[in-house]
Amino acid sequence: MREELSPVIGLEIHVQLATGTKIFCGCSTDYIGAVPNVNVCPVCLGLPGALPSLNARAVELGTLAGLALGCRIRLRSRFHRKNYFYPDLPKGYQISQYDEPLAEEGFIDVADEKGGTRRIRILRLHLEEDAGKLVHGAGDGRLEGASCSLVDCNRAGVPLAEIVSAPDLTSPAMSREYVLALRRLVRHLGVGDGDMEAGSLRVDANISLKGPGESGGERVEIKNLNSLRALERSLEYEISRQRDLISRGGTVARETRHWNEVTERTLGTRSKEEAQDYRYFPDPDLPPLVITEGFVEACRRRLPELPDARRRRFVEGLGLSEEEAAVLVEERGVAAYFDAAVAAGAPPRRASAWVRTEVLRVLREERRAVGAFPVLPDTLAALLQRVESGELSTTVARECFHALRTEEISLDEALRRFGGGKPSSEELEALGRRTLEENVDVVEEILGGRDPKGKKIKYLEGLMMRALRGQETPEAVRRTLEELIFKK
Amino acid sequence: MELWEYSAWRLAEFVAQGQLSVSEVVEAHLTHMQWQEGTYHALITPMVEAARDRARALDTALAGGADISPLCGVPVVIKDNICVQGSPTTCGSRMLERWVAPYNATAVDHLLGAGAVVVGKGNMDEFAMGSSTENSFFGPTKNPRDPNRVPGGSSGGSAAAVAAGYAPLALGSDTGGSIRQPAAFCGVHGLKPTYGMVSRHGLVAYASSFDQIGPLARDVGDLAVALEVLGRADDRDPTCSSRPRTTYLNAIQTYSLKGRRIGMVREFAGSAVDPELHAAMVHAARICQDAGATLVDVSLRDTIAYGLAAYYILAPAEASSNLSRFDGVRFGFCREAEVLQEQYRRTRGEGLGPEVKRRILTGTYVLSSGYYDAYYATAQKVRRRVAEEFDVAFQSADVVLLPTSPRLPFYFGEVGDPMAMYLMDIFTVPANLAGLPALSLATGSGRDGLPLSVQLVGRPWGEFDLLGVASILEKAFGAPQPIQGTGGKYS
Ligand SMILES: [Zn+2]
Repeated sequence: MREELSPVIGLEIHVQLATGTKIFCGCSTDYIGAVPNVNVCPVCLGLPGALPSLNARAVELGTLAGLALGCRIRLRSRFHRKNYFYPDLPKGYQISQYDEPLAEEGFIDVADEKGGTRRIRILRLHLEEDAGKLVHGAGDGRLEGASCSLVDCNRAGVPLAEIVSAPDLTSPAMSREYVLALRRLVRHLGVGDGDMEAGSLRVDANISLKGPGESGGERVEIKNLNSLRALERSLEYEISRQRDLISRGGTVARETRHWNEVTERTLGTRSKEEAQDYRYFPDPDLPPLVITEGFVEACRRRLPELPDARRRRFVEGLGLSEEEAAVLVEERGVAAYFDAAVAAGAPPRRASAWVRTEVLRVLREERRAVGAFPVLPDTLAALLQRVESGELSTTVARECFHALRTEEISLDEALRRFGGGKPSSEELEALGRRTLEENVDVVEEILGGRDPKGKKIKYLEGLMMRALRGQETPEAVRRTLEELIFKK
Repeated sequence: MELWEYSAWRLAEFVAQGQLSVSEVVEAHLTHMQWQEGTYHALITPMVEAARDRARALDTALAGGADISPLCGVPVVIKDNICVQGSPTTCGSRMLERWVAPYNATAVDHLLGAGAVVVGKGNMDEFAMGSSTENSFFGPTKNPRDPNRVPGGSSGGSAAAVAAGYAPLALGSDTGGSIRQPAAFCGVHGLKPTYGMVSRHGLVAYASSFDQIGPLARDVGDLAVALEVLGRADDRDPTCSSRPRTTYLNAIQTYSLKGRRIGMVREFAGSAVDPELHAAMVHAARICQDAGATLVDVSLRDTIAYGLAAYYILAPAEASSNLSRFDGVRFGFCREAEVLQEQYRRTRGEGLGPEVKRRILTGTYVLSSGYYDAYYATAQKVRRRVAEEFDVAFQSADVVLLPTSPRLPFYFGEVGDPMAMYLMDIFTVPANLAGLPALSLATGSGRDGLPLSVQLVGRPWGEFDLLGVASILEKAFGAPQPIQGTGGKYS
């Protein structure tokens, strides 16, 4: 029986919203690397007499994320105060949404182990403010052995969307996929950068083991998960810890445990914290947040194509493989680059190959954003069209691409350099004559009327195009050939 | 007549007409203030030099042709829970004894923009919790009408300053009666505006959904001018209404009571109210009637029965959260300790006074899990019921007449029991529960020369009616005068 215990996992994800300014004041949200306590004001420092005023942009981004998750958006939501004392919490309470969150009841589709997808329910998305940071005075910045602790309020008041999943996840790998899907969505929407290492996407996991009937254990919350690896490893650890405990006849207590990166174990926190009573009540400083149907509709119209839909379109509409499409949609900018290249006439399969290899490789190597990529999508399209039509060999095209990227020259210039340049009319004519001389038999067949489908002249055209390395249009080549053959 | 006996609008008129310089006006008040302050202790921080500098600056600006109105040169006292940039803002607490506000409250900005000169920060019950100003860490204020008695609270310093002629105008804050009751005790007028009329930005919060800044003065016209200056939309306070405001001063001079209906509350006819205060109310009603108003019977049964209890659940609940920021970490009083919890315990244990602790404990209790529904949620229902009862009353009345206080000013130490002190707020709390405007009007003096008063409660945004009725009553009762003073030199 005990082997049938299966994990039940739910995740709470905090996403920093890319508002630029804090949720209840006008201070900048830059806190990484900033001098401590520079992006602060009476509001986010919780000075006496200061009052919060809600940043409309945070509501907008929260609504976009809620809509993208298929949530129901509440036209009337509310902010509560979550009361507790901690030095990084300037007001002694955190303003957060409680029983009336901005968005409820959504879902996201996540890849499962068997190559299919699994729909994970989203219980809610709510807005709240971030706390400041404590910097401990010990040499290594840790709490242990610190002689003093300093408070940096730059992060206090940074807007967060907390996204709570239903306990629908059944494995550490699926949990990882869920975070990846959510991060992809957040980035696609532009509501946040979703950087786990930098803390702009933070994950808390709830996990319990469930057996047949009512058997199993209590839910354990794991905190301090700073990477996908930490998420997976900590869940694996907890599953085996809880399995062992239950198999030895023990019971899993409901508690919060911290993941320790170094020992790769979770550690229970003191039970005193468990008894915390946050005394939630509606924040009297903030009237209920009322938004209109019109606002929600405007947000809905602004929703970009979501990663899932885009991936489907790439597969079904453009004939890409699932794997290719998945790579392309991972980053919204890359997907948009690919889309723009196709719209400019690039053959989709070829564009996909180039974007996934040439473009992404360079972006990764140079740690660049796709927006700063020097070769524009329509330039790539023009180049790939030539490859497709056989005017350019792949090798030459790569040479051109490299020059376009590193020297920021025009396509014409690159083509001239690597393809020999566009020939003058004299050069074209000379080449034409040479081609005809070398293929006298073909010319005779054509003149003898034995080329009804134009296949033979097309053959000559191909020879010339190859010799020209794509530096002239097929039309011009054809014109030259016809003149030389028929007006001889 | 001395300069410190004039009303604010009259002083501003003198200055505007060039009859007096701002410095002359301010100096006259400062001299009087320094003469009296040793006796009354109405201020936590006198701002003598700052006021002189400001007066000189205003005179220079005026000489340069600047048009500053409508309070140009008017000395004002600001309750010490309202931020004045660069000045201590103590809230009457040890916790903020040395805290200097780095910014101006919006209300202060508006007053300064109108040309007012801040002459001091008014004493108050610690964090506005109290009805006698006995809860100030800096010692009590004495009532200028009788220095053996309390000035009321929590804006006792502001009320005493206006009564003693330090300034014709002061700012107070009113959470459950903290402008009106001290105004009544000190024989001046006080107005608590509709919730959302005046920005709370820069007012150190006691109970956010009740707090409202308002003026105290000896002249109804001054309340009207002050309201015009203070009552503006402010996006730094989301609870401050963006509704367009009207003007009051000119309009109330032609106010007529003909066809107006004055609501007389059925439930406490002659109940636990001091007979002289009850008589003052009846007297006021008769004056209104004589001026053409109709008296109508209204019921506030549940309001009178449950309002006070609801208030003393909800206000402490909000306070318990609002005062959490006083933890000694970023500003204010701090007792450092090796362990964080110990630092909190000592900082708050020594930095806050007993009444503040009592309300924080009450508030923490009523919000705690398991008790929330029984206390906080139930009190919210009472609050809605109070608003409904007023709604019904205002279907038949334009203004409701109530006493401000059930008692005349009492002696220091006379009301020691906190519950007995809370009962002082029974008639003022309803307006805060329902967010209504309410005005306490000085109506002369009774036995032992103690000031009498009545309270007018209006519809939401019904300040015009309150000021109109008050101006007619003021003509009949006579505007209160500042005390002449007997005090020793302020040192
Ligand atoms: Zn700020």
